[in-house]
Amino acid sequence: MLFRSVAALAFAASAAAQAPDRDYVVLVASEAVDVITRIRFGPGAGPSFARVEATTTIGVNPMDPDGPHGLATSPDNRHYYVSTAHGAPYGSLWKLDAATNQVLGRVELGNFPASAQVSPDGGYVFVVNFNLHGEKVPSNVSVVSTDPYVEVARIQTCTMPHGSRMNGAGTKHYSTCMMDDMLVEIDAREFAVSRHFILKKGSELGVVGAPRVGPVSTGDHGGHGMDAPKPGNASCSPTWAQPSVDGRKVFVACNASSEIVEIDATTWSVTRRIPAGDGVYNLAITTDGALLVATNKRGKSVSIIDVAAGKELARIPTQRRVVHGAAISADNRYAFISVEGIGSEPGTVEMIDLRTRTRVASVDVGQMAGGIDVLTHWQSGSRVP
Amino acid sequence: MTHSISLLLSLLAQSPAPQTAQQLPASPVARLVVTPANPVIAAQDTLRLVAQALDASGVPVPNVRLRFIQSGGARFEGSVDSTGLVRSGSTGTIPVTVVAIVAGVRPVTQVVEVRMVAGPAARITIDASPARLVTGQQVNLTGTAFSAAGDQRNDRLAWRSSAPAIARINADGQLTAVAAGRATITATSGQASATLPVTVVANTVASLSITPSTATARTGDVVRFAVTARDAQGKTIAGLTPTFTFSPGQGMIEQDGAFVGYEARPYTVMATIGNRVSQATVTLTRRDVRRAATVVGRLPRSRFRTEEVWLHPNGNYAYLGSGGGGDVMYTIDISNPAAPVVTDSIIANTRRVNDIMTTPDGKFLVFTREGAADRKNGIVICSLEDPAHPKPISEFTDGVTAGVHSTFIYSQEKFGTHIYLTNDGTGALHVIDIADPYKPREVAQWKTDRPDAGRSLHDIDLRDGLLYASYWNDGLVVLDIGNGVKGGSPSNPKLVSQFKYDLNDLYRQVELTAGPGFIRGTHTAWRNRNYVFIADEVFPAAGVQGAKDVAAGRAYGRLQVVDVSNIEKPRVVAFYEPEYGGVHNVWVAGDTLYMGAYNGGFRTFDISGELRGDLRAQEREMVHVHTGDMDGYVKNAPNTWGVVVRNGLAYVNDNQSGLWIIRMEPKKANVVP
Repeated sequence: MLFRSVAALAFAASAAAQAPDRDYVVLVASEAVDVITRIRFGPGAGPSFARVEATTTIGVNPMDPDGPHGLATSPDNRHYYVSTAHGAPYGSLWKLDAATNQVLGRVELGNFPASAQVSPDGGYVFVVNFNLHGEKVPSNVSVVSTDPYVEVARIQTCTMPHGSRMNGAGTKHYSTCMMDDMLVEIDAREFAVSRHFILKKGSELGVVGAPRVGPVSTGDHGGHGMDAPKPGNASCSPTWAQPSVDGRKVFVACNASSEIVEIDATTWSVTRRIPAGDGVYNLAITTDGALLVATNKRGKSVSIIDVAAGKELARIPTQRRVVHGAAISADNRYAFISVEGIGSEPGTVEMIDLRTRTRVASVDVGQMAGGIDVLTHWQSGSRVP
Repeated sequence: MTHSISLLLSLLAQSPAPQTAQQLPASPVARLVVTPANPVIAAQDTLRLVAQALDASGVPVPNVRLRFIQSGGARFEGSVDSTGLVRSGSTGTIPVTVVAIVAGVRPVTQVVEVRMVAGPAARITIDASPARLVTGQQVNLTGTAFSAAGDQRNDRLAWRSSAPAIARINADGQLTAVAAGRATITATSGQASATLPVTVVANTVASLSITPSTATARTGDVVRFAVTARDAQGKTIAGLTPTFTFSPGQGMIEQDGAFVGYEARPYTVMATIGNRVSQATVTLTRRDVRRAATVVGRLPRSRFRTEEVWLHPNGNYAYLGSGGGGDVMYTIDISNPAAPVVTDSIIANTRRVNDIMTTPDGKFLVFTREGAADRKNGIVICSLEDPAHPKPISEFTDGVTAGVHSTFIYSQEKFGTHIYLTNDGTGALHVIDIADPYKPREVAQWKTDRPDAGRSLHDIDLRDGLLYASYWNDGLVVLDIGNGVKGGSPSNPKLVSQFKYDLNDLYRQVELTAGPGFIRGTHTAWRNRNYVFIADEVFPAAGVQGAKDVAAGRAYGRLQVVDVSNIEKPRVVAFYEPEYGGVHNVWVAGDTLYMGAYNGGFRTFDISGELRGDLRAQEREMVHVHTGDMDGYVKNAPNTWGVVVRNGLAYVNDNQSGLWIIRMEPKKANVVP
């Protein structure tokens, strides 16, 4: 029985990449042009299996980019949330109806709100205030209640918080701080930092409580992951924190050292260092916890990593440069990758078949494609909005 | 196949059991009681909010953590910390969310609005100063109370006279001169007061005459009226203060006798001193400055929006920036304005080229960058050795990686040539020495004295060693960078004055249209004669209801004319507000102001003479061109950005349709058969 299953699977995997047999709806934010693009991937998209279905302009200032950066869908698929990073000086978090794209609300946050995620119970959105261009001082994580739609907490973490992911239970939130080389854990019930971890190689240390950090006097934070580290630089410069599906581990993308650091959430210590692509940036994990998908910002590629083995299974080049975000369909079949592009060239969403580990489609979108998420299927037979 | 087997084995191995979302139970907190219930705080004062979390029975819930968060709006006017301490910077309203957190349950929230009002009256200004009155004369006094922070209060002033038998004043400020003598009039509000010494003389006015500076004028001309009072012997009585009125028609007259009418008709202007009235008529004709315009040349652009246009000093080349994701600066041969041709373009690491300028000698050019792929923005300096083919030679990004929106190159014989640029991230002004354009170096930074929050420098204009900074929420800021009035220099800018005004009050209708949080600020400034023309950029907080998304909308905004005869005390004397559209960039040449009015298209105005009042009502508009085109980035929708004028031609860039080269035609002479 086992032998027949292995054989069947081997046959399926060796076959040419098959077209999707259902539709997936993906949302992506284009920061340079204030547009949210809705993409349909699947038979409903026509012969190419991938097309832009709709675009929505977002923002308040039609003459200066509001800069949509982070994007997160609600667990029930009814809403999605977009952070706009630019402002004078503050950005915002927008709530939109997933079916109609109608704006339902806006909450002003801090400096350069970026990565966002909706809590598993749908009650909150956690957004990092990245503060990319301001003074290099500790910033914070905003917590926004989805109903009523108001900010309920702003939790100081450290300098340039990036990435925003919660564990499956919704009890912990994780983000990193690029300039302070830290992973920060927030107790999502208390709305307070519970622990932090110092990631710099040779100085690794798990600490209870919030970090005590002051202004950072060195380093130019312009460049944001595109500058190769200088020789001898032991910094991690973390850009993403992805909990494992059982909540026992946290995977941290170290953009400078091009590795993924695995932190044990129980012992609060490093358990593995997984080599990654050049400038590993964002992470996503399959719902069965088997695979990590990592975008390699400098490397112009996407890595598929076997979590158990701690090894890269495939590295898929992207068509354009400045690889940004990753989102995985709920059935673990496809990964959707956003690529910013350079200058006037379009942004791109690339579709990767996780079984064959090949790119099977791509769609051009507005410039500087970044935040991306998938509108997950409802029950079988339900129509994806 | 090897990969597949590995994968299968991995899958068959024990997979981590996914966590399931924990649903939060309802909170025991039924309601929050906030004290004070209707908080009001004086500007620049502090107030502590206190909250209590009660259950359904009204009993305080134990183990509750309470937090206070500013929930949008009034970010620049005040703040609240997590403990509930409110700090007010100026007037406005702060919405504060009170959050009650009990571990393990869903939080409960409540929003309270903290009104921030002007502090107690600290000083009063009395508007009119009628120092000398005749018996029987009545004048209406008005005044305004201000807090110590300079916020205007809406107090009803209490008036009193030190000698009612000499000069009597009622509660409405109506002053009646009763008998010869001296009196002191005092206006009071709270602890603040102001006095006005008044001398009443016997009314020997036997005749009164009022003489306009001219008997005929045009709408919008300022006509000054002089009043002469004579006694029975015909001797002039000096130092008296008449009261001016006029009728019928629309216009305005100020207490110094400056009158401006908006209609082509006779106006009767009256001066009153005591029981003597004199009147004079001034007949206004239409200003009649309306002219035709001819579109001489056109360069449609549809690939990207277009932003700034600038001309090479030789007049043969124009440089046009792109936006909305555009990474290109075009070089355009305009030697034949009827047929502009793109000769070259620079592709840069940017997604917006918002501003462009050349050095006065035309040897170098600078353009701004925002939206770079590596997020390192700044400016690029190009050589114009061949103006048809600019060549990047250097760039400057230190400290301005957030982006540079505007730039101005200015040369002073004493100090050399510098680039003044805006920092999108911090709202600071940076001054860059380009004595060696290949090695630009920063020599100074300056920013308004306020927390970084809310500071935004949008545009820069320079004239005669004075820098006019359009500082968004901070209004118009004038700096000495070499003029000498305050001893400033490029490496040491000195504040001369700041003209701040209530943008929220000025654009109340925009808030009514689409709610609070609308975009508004001092956007651009241009110094000409004794005026600074400042334009406010205003957009509503939400898109058009029923429209697909926020891309549908319009601009609002007003052009204000600020008299800087006393540069340290600027005051608004006139304004223009389009009926539909906004105001964006302006250019002044001679007595004409050229404007990009966004949805309102391209407009020009006659700004000759003294300026007072409503320039649109005075019919000072000369030309309007609807710069919408089906051949454009957005079809048939003008969004006129700005203009550069050279040799009688206006080079107008429309953000949604490209370059228009327009000539204002001369007025047609009336032909008498």
